[in-house]
Amino acid sequence: METFLQQLANGLTIGSMFALVALGYTMVYGVMRLINFAHGDMVAAAAFVGLTVYTQVMGQATSLFAVVAIFLLTAGLMACVGVILERVAYRPLRTAPRLSAVVSALGASLVIQNGIMLIWGPRMRIFPELVPQQFWNFGGVVISLIQVLILVISLVLMVALYLFIEKTRMGAAIRASSIDQDAARLMGINVNSIIALIFIIGSSLGAIGGLFIGLYYRGITFNMGWQYGLYAFIAAILGGIGNIPGAMLGGMLLGLFSAFISGYVSSTWADAFTFMLLIFILIVRPTGLLGERVAEKV
Amino acid sequence: MKRTMLTLMTAFAVVTLMVGMVSAETLKVGVQAPITGSYANEGQGIENGTRLLANQINAAGGVMGQQIEVFVCDDQATAMASAICARELVNRGVKMIIGSYTSTAAEAAQKIYYDAGVIQTSDGTADSLTEKGYWTFLRNSFPNSAEAEYAAEYMVNVKGYKNIVVVSDFSSYAVGLADATVAAIKARGGNVVSYDKIRADSQNFTPVLTNIRSKNPDVIFFAGYYTDGGQLRAQQVALGIKADFIGGDANDNPDFIKLAGSAATGAKIINVPTVDMLPYDLAKDFIRDYEQAYGERPPSIWGLMNIDGMRAIIHAMEQNQSFDTRKAVEYLWNMEEPLEGITGPLQFAKDGNRIGSSYMTFEIQEDGSYKIAHQQ
Repeated sequence: METFLQQLANGLTIGSMFALVALGYTMVYGVMRLINFAHGDMVAAAAFVGLTVYTQVMGQATSLFAVVAIFLLTAGLMACVGVILERVAYRPLRTAPRLSAVVSALGASLVIQNGIMLIWGPRMRIFPELVPQQFWNFGGVVISLIQVLILVISLVLMVALYLFIEKTRMGAAIRASSIDQDAARLMGINVNSIIALIFIIGSSLGAIGGLFIGLYYRGITFNMGWQYGLYAFIAAILGGIGNIPGAMLGGMLLGLFSAFISGYVSSTWADAFTFMLLIFILIVRPTGLLGERVAEKV
Repeated sequence: MKRTMLTLMTAFAVVTLMVGMVSAETLKVGVQAPITGSYANEGQGIENGTRLLANQINAAGGVMGQQIEVFVCDDQATAMASAICARELVNRGVKMIIGSYTSTAAEAAQKIYYDAGVIQTSDGTADSLTEKGYWTFLRNSFPNSAEAEYAAEYMVNVKGYKNIVVVSDFSSYAVGLADATVAAIKARGGNVVSYDKIRADSQNFTPVLTNIRSKNPDVIFFAGYYTDGGQLRAQQVALGIKADFIGGDANDNPDFIKLAGSAATGAKIINVPTVDMLPYDLAKDFIRDYEQAYGERPPSIWGLMNIDGMRAIIHAMEQNQSFDTRKAVEYLWNMEEPLEGITGPLQFAKDGNRIGSSYMTFEIQEDGSYKIAHQQ
């Protein structure tokens, strides 16, 4: 039983990181019908930016204020990078065939990944222990402070995003743009600013996910964006791509699924089972768990 | 007339070019190492060391009058890139290959160097590297089996651990070391309660560790590399697993301590002496020169082992007064007295293994330094 509960805690921690990253994929897809393949690398870049902010801007301070400042500064910087990415790599291709935009996304992914390598070098960089090493033991189930922080902050951010999308005028504009961009434009919505907003939100949530990866695992490499990007992408599809609660659910489920498979079957097979789950979902529910059934116009 | 002139001029140009090539003949040395990726640190150590030694030899007049020219190829520690590197370096006409760091990469390139008659000297510790009968391969470190015997002896007979867990990744090196250690533990009557495998670089090891915790281990022996080892140790402590942690030789890297953070204290590592613990004058001089040239100490002893391999091959060529690779290897097989080395005496067996072993156990202290916990 304690093994089961421990795996549950493990799964929820990584699941919430997947969910944060998955939101970036799903929001961009929702409005632009584009898979932003560069998103995973943006997450990796955020971890490196965060490390630089810590060493250069904060002067290696480890106070609570410094940690909050690192999160805010990094999220802000990555939001700017996200907007630039959209301007440079996607907006010129808005009316081009969809394949061109996908190729552009793959290109942007390579540019960011190699950019990280050129700036920060090919070696693994190591995060300091910014969060105190505090553990609680609940009858054999050990939970650390960083796990609690990751879970709580992720949930708060996700609830905030959900309320923003569902309850505010700006959120309504985002929803309208995702249903029909032309109609939204006719209703006086500036679709370009909506898309910029999507990139700001997606990139800053991804940045927080990247910082969590850095703080939790401590080792970051320039090519890790591919791995986390892939998991988050699967999570987004699992929940129904384009659907915001779906990405949250998909991320959590994927985290739990991979923890239980690694724990009870074999860590060797965790990836194989993850992809089998993806294929299974796509066969049974092609639109994902929470995705709506849409009649494809052929 | 015009045509004859053209022919003459072409002939002249060709001859000058050939003369030019002959007079600029060099001893070509290839470095095959992971210059990028997770083990870039080690790969760059091999490259830097090779260039330093080449510069030193060149400044002293070269090898039998020929200057050494170094070619570097990045194998990214993968089998695929390794085979590409091997072909590229062979095509450049190198006589010897220094590296690679990982057994996986060294193994993937072995056949290509063997077919081309190029000597390959690697610090790879997988036993399989010397089991193929390739005369071109010289191991400049000590094989896994020697380390496995030492680790098993330490865990079973010195420390008397009752429940032993062995963890490895899927690389040829780690599986080789883990298999040999499990066999050596069983041969001593020890009890292996679990033998688990993790995927290198996957970062999330808590699911596997949670299972290990339910088996109440006294010790976790990790046979993989430091990038995973540091995180494994951190996550072990985070899960409240009280067992001792012993890392195999590839955990001996400053990044292990940084990754494990405060959990590093008390972790043990089994390896040959560290860079700082080498007692030889040759080592002290070379490490001082290395620091002067690059502003940092060699990342680990593995780069220095490779440099020893290169020194041995060049020594053999000079003794033979010949650049013939086969003769050089035969000379090394038949050396009566060991050659003085940076990492200890150098002598090779006919299967390409380096003779001897000097493993010991270090315990990581609170300030990140090593204390010798056990010595043979």
